Amino acid sequence: MRTAAELKYKERGIISEIDTSHPSSKRIIEHGFTPGQIIELVYQSLFNDPIAVSIRGTLIALRKSEAHCIKLK
Amino acid sequence: MTTDPLVKVPLITLVGPPNSGKTTLFNTLSGKNYKTANYPGSTVEYYTSRLLAKYNLSAELLDSPGIVSLLPESIDEKISVDSLYSHPTLGIPDLIISTVDACQLSRHLLLPKQLISSGFNVIIVVTMNDILAKRGLKVSENKLKNALDCDVVVINGRSKQGIEKLIEAISLNLTQTSEESKKIISPNFYAHNKNELVDTFNEIEKIVNTVYEPTISNEKNNLKSANNELKILNNNISSNGFSPDEITLKIDNVLLHRFWGFLIFLFVMGVTFTSIFWLAQPLMNLVDALFAELNSLVINNFDQGWFTYLVSDGIISGTGSVLVFVPQILILFIILGLLEDSGYLARGAMLIDKPLSKIGLNGRSFVPMLSGYACAIPAMIAARTIPNRRERLFTIFIIPLMSCSARLPVFALLIAYLIPRDQAWMGGLVLGGIYLFSMISSIVVAAIMNKFTKKIFNAEDTSSFILELPAYRIPKLSSVITNTYNSSKQYILRAGPIILGFSLVLWFLTFFPNINPKVESAGLNSHQTQNLERSERLEHSYASDLGKIIEPIMIPLGMDWRIGVSLISAFAAREVFVSSLALTFKVTSETDEDQSTLLKSLRTAKIESTGEQLFTAATSLGLIVFFIFALQCLSTVAVSKKETGGWKIPILQIVIFTSLAYTMTFITVNGLRFLGIN
Repeated sequence: MRTAAELKYKERGIISEIDTSHPSSKRIIEHGFTPGQIIELVYQSLFNDPIAVSIRGTLIALRKSEAHCIKLK
Repeated sequence: MTTDPLVKVPLITLVGPPNSGKTTLFNTLSGKNYKTANYPGSTVEYYTSRLLAKYNLSAELLDSPGIVSLLPESIDEKISVDSLYSHPTLGIPDLIISTVDACQLSRHLLLPKQLISSGFNVIIVVTMNDILAKRGLKVSENKLKNALDCDVVVINGRSKQGIEKLIEAISLNLTQTSEESKKIISPNFYAHNKNELVDTFNEIEKIVNTVYEPTISNEKNNLKSANNELKILNNNISSNGFSPDEITLKIDNVLLHRFWGFLIFLFVMGVTFTSIFWLAQPLMNLVDALFAELNSLVINNFDQGWFTYLVSDGIISGTGSVLVFVPQILILFIILGLLEDSGYLARGAMLIDKPLSKIGLNGRSFVPMLSGYACAIPAMIAARTIPNRRERLFTIFIIPLMSCSARLPVFALLIAYLIPRDQAWMGGLVLGGIYLFSMISSIVVAAIMNKFTKKIFNAEDTSSFILELPAYRIPKLSSVITNTYNSSKQYILRAGPIILGFSLVLWFLTFFPNINPKVESAGLNSHQTQNLERSERLEHSYASDLGKIIEPIMIPLGMDWRIGVSLISAFAAREVFVSSLALTFKVTSETDEDQSTLLKSLRTAKIESTGEQLFTAATSLGLIVFFIFALQCLSTVAVSKKETGGWKIPILQIVIFTSLAYTMTFITVNGLRFLGIN
């Protein structure tokens, strides 16, 4: 299954579930990453990590290791 | 105050996620006359204020750090949440005002929902409606009110629209609740369950889909675009929100460009960094000159007793060494405040996160570390924004390695000693080299220390970096200046007493017991005699006794007790090293030529026991290295203790950095000698 960490530049995806075993999963959900939401990888830094994704009309920067817990359809 | 002290003033707490217009609302309601309230046992300050008199409503208003949900992540958040349930001195709030961004309802309604289900009395304030109006939409107060079963007020914080309605709602709410018996508030435990968090979001989505309405407007175009937006919203329930702000996306195409973004970041930070020095220097010189003037004014106009010297050298000079850093701190906070307010700092943290995470730090460590080049005290306070405990403590731990500005006079003196006068450009080069060396070595030290952080900090390693990148906006100078004023006040209140107290102790050690020294004053003017007396006094003082005790450990570094005394004096504040050195080497003139006379006496100084030259190239470079590493600032130690909540970290800092400084100096001095450079 793909995760948000594997999104390519400017690629969109729909969240299927959040891996709740991940230590950051609670914070990720609190920022609005919930199943069904469309996300887009909008920017990446020079080192490809962290990434900035758009969710619910806002940009959120997060590390790839954390984006791993966002599973996509 | 006309309020009857027996009648309890209702407490209103302002709560909201970052970037939800909470602080703007607080400033509107309270004016600028707020004071800080400490949460006992912690370092987090709250701002509390009475509502402005013009609103004709007596209530205490409490601002709290921004939180996303009632489940805290950082120390700030935890205290913010705890204080909602019961603040030890202020109690449970009678009313909570929860701010939400009109364009971000689908994210921001989480917090008010949690607050309401915990049993709090809540008024939701919808902010930033002007931005929503540009999309031809508005939030329906009534629909949101019915959906959430609490009061809703739509305002525009910047233009102060809707504030009167808010005040009305507050006073109505307060009179009603004071009649009712207080509800029982239970901490919101359900949020621990992640599935229920998702459920809450699903409920919010349903609400959000119903509360947006087109603004009433005669323009057909507007209506059309509003209907379009609504259609997108309604058809696209899964996306549930607007597309991000277009101007922000355009700016970020440049500022978050994969390649240029990082270069621009380095440039912006470079400018910030250098302006701490160039902009502040004239002001610092002014403060310095002012206190030097005051000092000599006291000495020249009063009896030459110990009390006069206590006032002049102890109190006045001590106060001077506190205030000399204020210009730098002001400038640093203004620049960082403007960057923060514009929305850029969050981007900066994102860009630098990867390299910093390699050495166990976090993108959010960057600003505290940069501030460390001005002064470690505001830097350590700035580290509070790092949510992860281990990373926060580690950032505080390595901040003293950032070469703070107090070391600059020391470097300047030693460079002037090493470099011939006619080659001033080389001095700048060497200074640049010193800063580069200090940066590289702090990275190396951090990388090595990172291996041991688990043991040292005793904290779990769940490093995390999730940060909202807010829409860009033009920073509001007035709020930046208010924050800068408060931060500077914090610095003075926190570091001031410690620096001053220690200056007094050092004054005592350097002044007693030889109060009235006998000096050969023939052929000298009164000024020179005075300075000679001071030197004499210092030579037979407790401080010099201490210096002689530590001489055995100074010898391997090619140094003697006189440098030892100056190093001890430098514990009050590093820049004292230079003036103390002048005293130990009996420099008697105090004119513009001061430094050159000091340089001259340094050149002729010999180690007493061996007769070798004291200040060689090797020992001077050694001293520079010593100052790069050593933690020689008691105020830093005190703030470190306060910010880390114990003695463990400050003691480790003293031990590790001092022994590191000693070892590196030993290697430098003896290495250079071995290479034949002396």
